Amino acid sequence: MSPEGTEEMTDSFLSIKNIRKTYGSVIAVEDVTLDIAKGEFLTFLGPSGSGKSTTLFAIAGFEAPTSGEVILDGQALLDIPSHKRNIGMVFQRYTLFPHLTVGENVAFPLRVRRKSASEIKSKVAEMLELVQLQDMADRLPSQMSGGQQQRVALARALAYDPPVLLMDEPLSALDKKLREEIQTQIRRIHKETGVTILYVTHDQEEALRLSDRIALFNQGRIEQVGTGHDLYFNPATRFVAGFIGNSNFLEVEAQGARDGRAKAVFPDGTQMDGVPLHTDGAGNEGSVLMVRPEAIRLETAASQGAGLPIRIFDTTFLGDAIQVDGRTSWGQTVTVRAPLSAGGAQGAGPGDTVNLQWNAEESHLFSNG
Amino acid sequence: MLLTFKTMGALRWVLVGLSVIVAIFLLVPVIFIVALSFGSSQWLAFPPPGWTLRWYQELLADPRWLASMLTSAKIAALTTICAVTLGLLTSFALVRGNFRGRETLRAAFLTPMILPVVVIGVALYAFFLRIGLNGTLTGFVIAHTILALPFAIIPISNALEAFDKSIEDAAIVCGASPWEARLRVTLPGIRHGLFAGAIFSFLLSWDEVVVAIFMASPTLQTLPVRIWGSLRQDLSPVIAAASALLVLLTICLMIVAALVQKGRQK
Ligand SMILES: Nc1ncnc2c1ncn2[C@@H]1O[C@H](COP(=O)(O)OP(=O)(O)O)[C@@H](O)[C@H]1O
Ligand SMILES: [Mg+2]
Repeated sequence: MSPEGTEEMTDSFLSIKNIRKTYGSVIAVEDVTLDIAKGEFLTFLGPSGSGKSTTLFAIAGFEAPTSGEVILDGQALLDIPSHKRNIGMVFQRYTLFPHLTVGENVAFPLRVRRKSASEIKSKVAEMLELVQLQDMADRLPSQMSGGQQQRVALARALAYDPPVLLMDEPLSALDKKLREEIQTQIRRIHKETGVTILYVTHDQEEALRLSDRIALFNQGRIEQVGTGHDLYFNPATRFVAGFIGNSNFLEVEAQGARDGRAKAVFPDGTQMDGVPLHTDGAGNEGSVLMVRPEAIRLETAASQGAGLPIRIFDTTFLGDAIQVDGRTSWGQTVTVRAPLSAGGAQGAGPGDTVNLQWNAEESHLFSNG
Repeated sequence: MLLTFKTMGALRWVLVGLSVIVAIFLLVPVIFIVALSFGSSQWLAFPPPGWTLRWYQELLADPRWLASMLTSAKIAALTTICAVTLGLLTSFALVRGNFRGRETLRAAFLTPMILPVVVIGVALYAFFLRIGLNGTLTGFVIAHTILALPFAIIPISNALEAFDKSIEDAAIVCGASPWEARLRVTLPGIRHGLFAGAIFSFLLSWDEVVVAIFMASPTLQTLPVRIWGSLRQDLSPVIAAASALLVLLTICLMIVAALVQKGRQK
């Protein structure tokens, strides 16, 4: 995935248009519009309650949205009942049919479609091999671990070659190590089958590891859609900047906004020119500056005059890097994560005053709202 | 756990003693009646002076007793079918439904369990008299279904409550129509609840006597009704034999239920 591929994705295979869903006075999804290309792996990332599942369920057909449209391969989806949409889905909870064996579970969608016995047999074998559980066809779901059950659920969801596979936090009940193992499998399966995947998670690491693109949800809206790289280095909103990775948010005043850039003036008078400015449509100027801990360099106060002075109150050795926590003259805390190999004020310790420097390009101005 | 059996000290022997006494108290009448049914005494003397199968022979040779047993079995079987079917539909509404007054409705469905049986008996008798259902098989089954319904609804709705709706949803995304999903996935998923409901319904009808007395006619008598009637005419040990058979079937069904329960937990 190239970072600049984002805007050019015009060949939309699955289109979600202005989906809105309310439950009484609760707005579950406010307004979601999104285009997904064929074969893409797109993840809905966002905090719990931000409307990810509701959007996914609208595509699956469990919950009719209050308004909006979903177009799959040129066909309006919302008028089609759920069982005729031919969509694959893996749920957050374990949903294998408890009275059927693993093989019978995978065969279920094929039986429902009245496929021939021989076709079912070969497809089940193929699917179980895909998820590397070929030896477990005769087990009951209750005899399997959670991770295995979700792999069977994946096999079942892919058995009928659906054009789109929906996955709603399928790994959230598993421990970290197992989760990473299955993530690797999911990536492989995505490559092997070429199926278009919509994946929901609240775990940013999982989203970054799996996805071609990420749609970041917040309060029933999408804050930004883009590659992990986009979201990390070019966050469109303060929420994105705060949700992905670690960030410092510093109080500033944005002055002389022009061409999407502005001068940042800190309360202590320190200035920085040419910082990318993100207005949120309301037109108010940025008043908070975001910078990643690892984008900051430490310079001794004496060496080069420029930079934002802080007073260090803690340093932590992290193996490959050192974390420095300090306080600005107006009392905000700043975290810096400097690689050990970097020069500058590496030796500084608690009580020392150092200057922070970073490339204006690597920081962002947001409105403080 | 604040108070466990192990930490109770001497008190636990008191508890054991009490339990044994209660168990004996519950079991003695049953043992007593079974012993009498094999006793040779015409007058139900206890302990029996000798042992015989004579009362069972008489019981099984008497067409009226046989007819009662058949009637009981028929009514119990039909009641089971009706109660489980209605119980299943009701449970779906109570568990999955999302409407006002759901809790009130749930309580209403359970009232036959709380209402004095005599009251139900009198009410049904008066009502069936008008519409001509007294003394009919249909009337009997309706009456017993009313009594059995709560005993079907409780285990079935519990099972449905415990069954994750997402599993049914998964079947639907897989291509099964909602009805197909319920039939092929949800029903097997709650089968233990259906089974428990069926056994409870059957047993309720099988040994129900109060409402049955109201519903019965000289030609349509369930086993408990005949036992009750005979008891007042002549105190024959055949009654003990009939009672013993009643108990036997009950115990068998309870054992089956327990085995199913155990198999499920494994
Ligand atoms: N059936 C429902 N009734 C009322 N509110 C709901 C219902 N389903 C979801 N919501 C609300 O909608 C919001 C979004 O939910 P959801 O889509 O499940 O979020 P996510 O999957 O991102 O955690 C939440 O605030 C949730 O409380
Ligand atoms: Mg969710």
